[in-house]
Amino acid sequence: MNEITLRVNGTPHKVAVDDTTVLLDALRQRIGITSTREGCGVGACGACTVLADGTSVSSCLASAVRYDGVPLTTADGLAEDDPVVSSFVDSDAMQCGYCIPGFVLMTKELLAENPTPSDEEIADHLEGNICRCATYPEIIKAVRLAADRTAP
Amino acid sequence: MTKNLHTTPRAKTPPVEVEPAADEPDPRYGVGERRKRFDALGRVRGTIRYTGDEGIAPGTVFVGVHRSTMPHARIVAVHTEAALEIDGVLEVVTGSDLYKVLGDRIYTGPAFADQPCLAVDKTRFVGEAVAAVLATDLATARSAVDEISVEYEELPPVYDVEDALRGDSFVHEELRPSSVFADLAHLHGVRGTNVAYEYRQVLGDSAAEHARAATTVSATTWAPPTHHVPIELPSTTAWVDSGRLELLSTTQTPSYVRQTVSDLLDLPLSRVRIMTRPLGGSFGCKMYDRLEPLAAALAWTTGRRVRIDATREEAFLLTTRHGAEVIGSMSADADGNIVAVSSDVRYDTGAFADVGPRIAAKSGLVAPGPYRIASVDVRSRCIYTNKVSAGPFRGFGVPQVTWSHETLVDELARELGEDPYLYRRRHLLREGDIATVGTKMHSADFLTCIDEVTKAIGWDKPTPQGDGRWVHGKGVAVGMKAVLTPTIANATLNLNQDGSATLLISTVDMGQGSDTIMSQIAGEVLCLDSRRIHVVRADTDATPYDTITAGSRSTYHTGNAVRLVAEAMRTKLLGFAAEQWGVPARELVLDARGVTHKKSDKLVTLPELVRAKFGARGATVTTSENFTSWWVPYDHDTGLSEKVTEHWFAGAAAVRIAVDTYTGRIRTQHLAIAGDVGRAINPTLVEQQLTGAAVMGIGHTLFDELVFDQGQITNATLLDYQLPSIKDVPEKMTPIIVESAHREGPFGAKGVGETTILPIAPAYAGAVRDACGVRITTLPLTPERVLHHLAASENARKAKR
Repeated sequence: MNEITLRVNGTPHKVAVDDTTVLLDALRQRIGITSTREGCGVGACGACTVLADGTSVSSCLASAVRYDGVPLTTADGLAEDDPVVSSFVDSDAMQCGYCIPGFVLMTKELLAENPTPSDEEIADHLEGNICRCATYPEIIKAVRLAADRTAP
Repeated sequence: MTKNLHTTPRAKTPPVEVEPAADEPDPRYGVGERRKRFDALGRVRGTIRYTGDEGIAPGTVFVGVHRSTMPHARIVAVHTEAALEIDGVLEVVTGSDLYKVLGDRIYTGPAFADQPCLAVDKTRFVGEAVAAVLATDLATARSAVDEISVEYEELPPVYDVEDALRGDSFVHEELRPSSVFADLAHLHGVRGTNVAYEYRQVLGDSAAEHARAATTVSATTWAPPTHHVPIELPSTTAWVDSGRLELLSTTQTPSYVRQTVSDLLDLPLSRVRIMTRPLGGSFGCKMYDRLEPLAAALAWTTGRRVRIDATREEAFLLTTRHGAEVIGSMSADADGNIVAVSSDVRYDTGAFADVGPRIAAKSGLVAPGPYRIASVDVRSRCIYTNKVSAGPFRGFGVPQVTWSHETLVDELARELGEDPYLYRRRHLLREGDIATVGTKMHSADFLTCIDEVTKAIGWDKPTPQGDGRWVHGKGVAVGMKAVLTPTIANATLNLNQDGSATLLISTVDMGQGSDTIMSQIAGEVLCLDSRRIHVVRADTDATPYDTITAGSRSTYHTGNAVRLVAEAMRTKLLGFAAEQWGVPARELVLDARGVTHKKSDKLVTLPELVRAKFGARGATVTTSENFTSWWVPYDHDTGLSEKVTEHWFAGAAAVRIAVDTYTGRIRTQHLAIAGDVGRAINPTLVEQQLTGAAVMGIGHTLFDELVFDQGQITNATLLDYQLPSIKDVPEKMTPIIVESAHREGPFGAKGVGETTILPIAPAYAGAVRDACGVRITTLPLTPERVLHHLAASENARKAKR
């Protein structure tokens, strides 16, 4: 067991993990984060996405010890008036909602890298996330709206 | 672009007694409004709690399941010693352990009681649960299952429908219809067959009509097994509290599960409690008997609090969509009238019948298609094989038969030299027509659906020539489905003294937005802002019986119960005011301000009214109502019924595609889909169902498929099983809401969850036919399959020369 510090949404949490503990389990079971979810266990659906220092990571494949001290963002840590959050709400970009926090974080990452993405760039960036309800048209709308709202 | 077409008056629902007052807050988020889901922010930020998010109570034990490696084998011995020696392993439970306690009650299932929660004497598919490990943590439970070894005596496997019908080996020694459906009782104890159920529909003399017809087309179509893959994984926790079995589960059928657990453990219903949370998607896979019977049996027999979480790989082993072959023919007379359809439908239901017998009947009955047809002969069978069990999946077996009748009618139109859209249009069922099953059509506006989708994609505009590599085509199809009938819905409404309300129903919100539209229906009747009406999560200790959340039945059935319970509340509130003012209730009206008496210019707000009645803040007023639909069971021999369903779903799709003749890849340029929903309670949510079902249908059309090798699934991970991504969305997609009000629907409404998954595949195949001249009858239309057909057609052309 190693004691590490997971810095989630600005709050440090000291947690004991072993070498095989994945970041997803550490966040859910030790810290009580609900927005990070298991969908496939093989990094193929995107429901477990977190941002590590701003970069998207599939937390179901990531070893927790590697994120000792790294600033992590989960969707529940975003403010209600965050432009991406509000754009998803205003675009009705959710059905069952299970996968949506992953899309929200991928959108945060995309807009940080590219504030004015084309539709093709949006699709390229979100392709690895699966919404089985197929809320894709609304998600695309939400990303466009978020880009407008974050534009300088 | 969305069109709301011929919105008709609110059938049968008494209108609000007064016009909205001038100072009424607007909008009230009632019926017809694009109100947001009440928990939209929680869904976006991930703070709403799904089943698996609930805290793990101290003492909870985790379950790992050892699964069969044999498709069909007698279980000789299960060796558990090595697993029991592992640190953290508490118990190992086998099927024979449970059988000693439960006896034949271990066999559960919605149509046939043929599913043991752990295999007892034999195993019937690769992946069947054989033994359960209970351990202090999940990782230990999962790794310990590998230490269990099972001795098998192999039996001849039944891999597919051909094997099954040959009848050399039988998946079940005898048929075990459950007590749920009276019309299956005659099958009890039947031996020596793999056919669980057969539905026949006979109208007229189809053999004679085929024989004298001018034109006949025939096709054998195949729709493969697929999986639902909701992103939320199944999870069930069960425990015993004061002699009661309590269970929290990812289920869309809490009322059904309560009965199943009651039967399984031989407990009165009052001693079984099933709780739910919002589901992270389901599409039919989280219903009937999944993890719940095993969790209940383990909790009851061990006294422990047990939690079972399925991995994604295990979720593939809990249920699937039926693979189905349909051998069909359709004939027309010299005038082009459809004179005969015959259809031999074979649903591969796998190791357990599940609800397959109902699928064979309820989907078999629409196998001829929604057309005016002089004679039909349908034989629809539910057939056991040694594979993962198949059960309900969005569309309930109808997409598979739609794939047949739309392939046939499209080919027939082309054979007759007619336009596939106009030919369908001429023969589609209209209001008041009698469907082949014998039931009159009402509120199933196929004509508007097909007119609107073809108009949307510019059916009459010339199709681009293409560049030699890319070729272009257009296709159209319709789909028809009967709503699950008969079913029962109940609703209880508590009006709170502050003028807010709490609605108790057992409909499970799995993304369709039922919590939101039910509050809109209640709010519309009571002139309450629907955002002040809270819908309680299904919990069988609190919320009343509701058959199931499935089959697109909730908007109509539960919606009607909610309308009735709100009307009863209005009557009760007017009665309170009448009593307080000493005036007749008929002189009173309820509007957004409260209750008014125009004659005396009296007005009382709801908070004042309820406080005056009970003399207490925080008091509640309660009403309860029931809505039950009815049917006339179909005739045993002819399959005909004058009322086989409470209502119909009508949908249509039209698509323009480009096919890459170098790679076989299909690009969707424009897909238009339409569904007749009667009345859209919330148009935004309706559009999401229309487009969501269509994109799921695109997956089934182009790539979605479970692959089996000797009975074993070979692609049961999300690395191997392809699902539609954001890149599979059509370049343009047009959802169209058609509103042909149903006379009994709440405000005219019907459901919508399945409507547009029905016609997608045949619309695409028609477009491929249009673009390339090849007719593909096997799904999915993968690039390899398209190329293969292009090459075969090229070779045939060369051979002719």
